[in-house]
Amino acid sequence: MMILVYGGSGSGKSAFAEKKITELNESDVLLYYLATMQAYDAEDEERVKRHRKQRDGKGFTTIEQPKDIGSRALELKEEKSDVLLECMSNLVANEMFSEEIRDSSIYDKTVSEEKSFDKYDVVFNKIKDEIIKLKDSCNNLIIVSNNVFEDGSIYDDETMKYIKTLGAINVFLAEISDEVWEVVAGITVRIK
Amino acid sequence: MILVIGGYAQGKLEYVKEKYLTGEEDIFDFDVDDIAELKRYSDGSFSDSLIVLNNINSLIKKELDDGKDPEELLEKILSKFNNAIIITDEVGNGIVPIDKNERIYREKTGRLQCMLAQNADEVIRVTCGLGQRIK
Repeated sequence: MMILVYGGSGSGKSAFAEKKITELNESDVLLYYLATMQAYDAEDEERVKRHRKQRDGKGFTTIEQPKDIGSRALELKEEKSDVLLECMSNLVANEMFSEEIRDSSIYDKTVSEEKSFDKYDVVFNKIKDEIIKLKDSCNNLIIVSNNVFEDGSIYDDETMKYIKTLGAINVFLAEISDEVWEVVAGITVRIK
Repeated sequence: MILVIGGYAQGKLEYVKEKYLTGEEDIFDFDVDDIAELKRYSDGSFSDSLIVLNNINSLIKKELDDGKDPEELLEKILSKFNNAIIITDEVGNGIVPIDKNERIYREKTGRLQCMLAQNADEVIRVTCGLGQRIK
């Protein structure tokens, strides 16, 4: 079973995703929290702390994996695990703005717009492949993703590409998920 | 209490007017009306008549700008009205703002909207002027 949980900032999507995976989790199956957020400052630390507190006592083992989530697939497969991945918006940012991608020959932002679009494809395909791997390795997989699409602002090229990539990933995730839930003010609306 | 949530300029107030109002009710707009005006209601012990509290997100913003916790005032206001329709902008569906105060406003508004939704009898989400009852 794969579920996508989608919502904006402060919508209560994490709490719902945690509840959902805990309900699905059977006693002989391990329960993992795949955390993709990298804490850069005190504010981030606070956020991590709040999330940890919220998960406390629910039986999660936390794996910190800011990128390359596919690298965990094998060990998860061996163990029979349920996984809550939080959150896709951080994963996409970490992959897109990672040094390897920045330095890679396929992406040279000084060259041309056309070239820089390669980065979008590279990150999109990489995450797509890794999600498929992860899905195949898990018993139940819940992915939390963000709605960053409705503030109507036009940002710099890099940010617009990030928004497009995350949007495309969300579409892909919804396609392969059995259920898709949108969370609005803590209220869950099933959209698939 | 009824909570109406949706993006900016989605026709939330018009939806409320059409669906719930007769034209007699008071509409308080935190975007333009002075909070002191609302005291007229809150000074009285309790009001059973229907009131529309529009742009509650602006109240949250003003309180935060004044260095106050908006939750306190919000709870105080709510406790004074038995019969309120609260309209609020959805502000969390975007890129995380660079400005710290903007981030706090977004996060706090989201959390308070969860609180309001929890206490509401009905929650309506309005998009393109269309209401969808989600609670």
